[in-house]
Amino acid sequence: MMNFQAMTGIAAVIIGIAYSIQAYHLPRATVGNPLAPMVFPLILGLLMLVCGIILLVKEGIKKKEVTADQEKEKAKPKGLTRSTKLIIFTCVSSVIYALLFERIGYVLSTLLFMSSILFALNGKEKWKTNIIVATCFSISIYVVFLKLLSISLPLMPILEI
Amino acid sequence: MDTIFNSLMEGFQVALTPGHLFWVTLGGILGTIVGMLPGLGPATGVAVLLPLTFTMGPTAALITMCGIYYGAMFGGSRSSILINTPGDGAALAATFDGYPMAQNGRAEAALAMSAIASFIGGIIATVFMTILAVPVARFALQFGPAEYCLLMLAALSATASMSKKNIVRGFISMFLGLMISTIGLDAQSGVKRFTFGILELQTGIDFLVIIIAIYALGEVFKCFREVHEGKKKMQTKFGKIWITKEDWKKSWLPILRSTPFGFLIGALPGAGGTMASLMAYNNEKQLAKNPDDFGKGDIVGLAAPEAANNAASVGALIPMMTLGIPGSGTTAVMLGALLMLGLQPGPLLFTQHPDIAWGLIASMFIGNVILAIVNIPLAGILVRVLAIPPKILYPIVLGLAFIGTFAISNSVVDFYILIIFGVVGLFMNKAGVPTAPLILGTIVGNSMEVSFRQALVISDGSYGIFVGSPIAVTLIIVTIASIVFPFLRGFIKSKKTVEA
Repeated sequence: MMNFQAMTGIAAVIIGIAYSIQAYHLPRATVGNPLAPMVFPLILGLLMLVCGIILLVKEGIKKKEVTADQEKEKAKPKGLTRSTKLIIFTCVSSVIYALLFERIGYVLSTLLFMSSILFALNGKEKWKTNIIVATCFSISIYVVFLKLLSISLPLMPILEI
Repeated sequence: MDTIFNSLMEGFQVALTPGHLFWVTLGGILGTIVGMLPGLGPATGVAVLLPLTFTMGPTAALITMCGIYYGAMFGGSRSSILINTPGDGAALAATFDGYPMAQNGRAEAALAMSAIASFIGGIIATVFMTILAVPVARFALQFGPAEYCLLMLAALSATASMSKKNIVRGFISMFLGLMISTIGLDAQSGVKRFTFGILELQTGIDFLVIIIAIYALGEVFKCFREVHEGKKKMQTKFGKIWITKEDWKKSWLPILRSTPFGFLIGALPGAGGTMASLMAYNNEKQLAKNPDDFGKGDIVGLAAPEAANNAASVGALIPMMTLGIPGSGTTAVMLGALLMLGLQPGPLLFTQHPDIAWGLIASMFIGNVILAIVNIPLAGILVRVLAIPPKILYPIVLGLAFIGTFAISNSVVDFYILIIFGVVGLFMNKAGVPTAPLILGTIVGNSMEVSFRQALVISDGSYGIFVGSPIAVTLIIVTIASIVFPFLRGFIKSKKTVEA
């Protein structure tokens, strides 16, 4: 597996090139200096590219020296660690949360989202705590937003409330 | 001097209204609680609690945020002392002697000393700020667009090059932030930039969403790793939280020494509380009669960094308030929140909105007093939050992050941006890329480009304007120095170790 350092360098180079090309192809301005909107982005893109290259060159030099670290990395068990799984689970739940939010409303979607994260993190054995925390959170935030901050969150669009 | 005093008194009139007192207290308590959570510091505190301020007037919002900021600073060291887990980088130094003190059965003295030192550091630093704010702002009025652009560049590169591991990575983070700021409709020419045909991107990516993503989601993801390590035992019953006379005799001088020092470091862009507290700790260790006691529960080793840390947090507000340029992730978050309220901090804030500027400074005095009250007699109650397992607290922080994001724009599209940048923040952490430069870049990017282009319009396209005044040249030298300095320091260090 490639290490993160080298990946950072490569990512910087790719972002730098892609961004510079995009910047160069920006439409010219119709008012004032036609090149004005692209000068600043172009500078950014090129400097990003330079940083990426510097990082890659540096890593190239270091690589010869550091092989012990890589062996250590190899010794790690294969497969995803628990925290990685949790992060992926959280991201997927978040996307579902975003999809549901406007459809089933704030209270229900938040209740589902919070319970799923709590079940994943806190464990099934403590289901009572999980449900209590999730319910209290969704409802109390709704009330605080409505009463204290006068921001009304979509309650239940299906029922047109 | 008289005018400063009068303005300050007017500020107190603003800050001492019951409503504002309520908000600064509430902000302080909530900030303390968020600051106590392991791994979550002031930046996260302000970011997550931001929605609270959305419907307030600017003065109340600013005062509340200051309360949160301060509270998180006070709170960060509670968890350092009791469970050996710093709330944020700046509270790291409090684990060195604070935790051993708690283990030696002196948790009460440690909690009290941390709050007292924080209080003294904060108050004295606020006095410095009161005196310095107006002169600095007046000086900044001489800046033209070119100087402003260079000033932002200097602040950004100082932040980028302060990152411990690798300054190139700091700059990559900074450029990424600046790039994000260029997304959307260009206000000056109407050209769509980097929107990829997505309608929602035309208004640009809201930096508040990026802030919440990196500081709330990213940090919580990072904490997932430690969640399963098992619960740390914590003392929940306390005697009287106070210090002995002997403790005070030992600590007052280190506190007074560390305060101006912390303030200066805090006012420099890029340095901030972590560096101030660590340097104060090392200073006191070198000055101590028995340096061997440090790390085993010496109260001086707790008092000095705590004073420096809070002084630095006040110092960091100087460039933010007077120049409109944040010097740290946390002050960047506060600047972002101010911009959202339609306020542009900077030299003009003191002339155009003196009530807000002085109200804020006055509320810093008040906030300090209130937090000292909250943190000493009530510390025993507040720290019970630490007994709530993080497994429950982190989901709550996540929930608050999403709700805060929704409150910013009333749109679910920002949820996806939030998730994407939460993951970006996580990867940056894994790759050792600091996130603070990205945040700074995202926030100042727009004004940096605006002043860059204004300067070029003034000079008719000649880049000579960026070296056209003594201030500009000085700023360029500062920028170059901030890039070269870490290399130099590394060189000197390696030489020293060879000699040793």
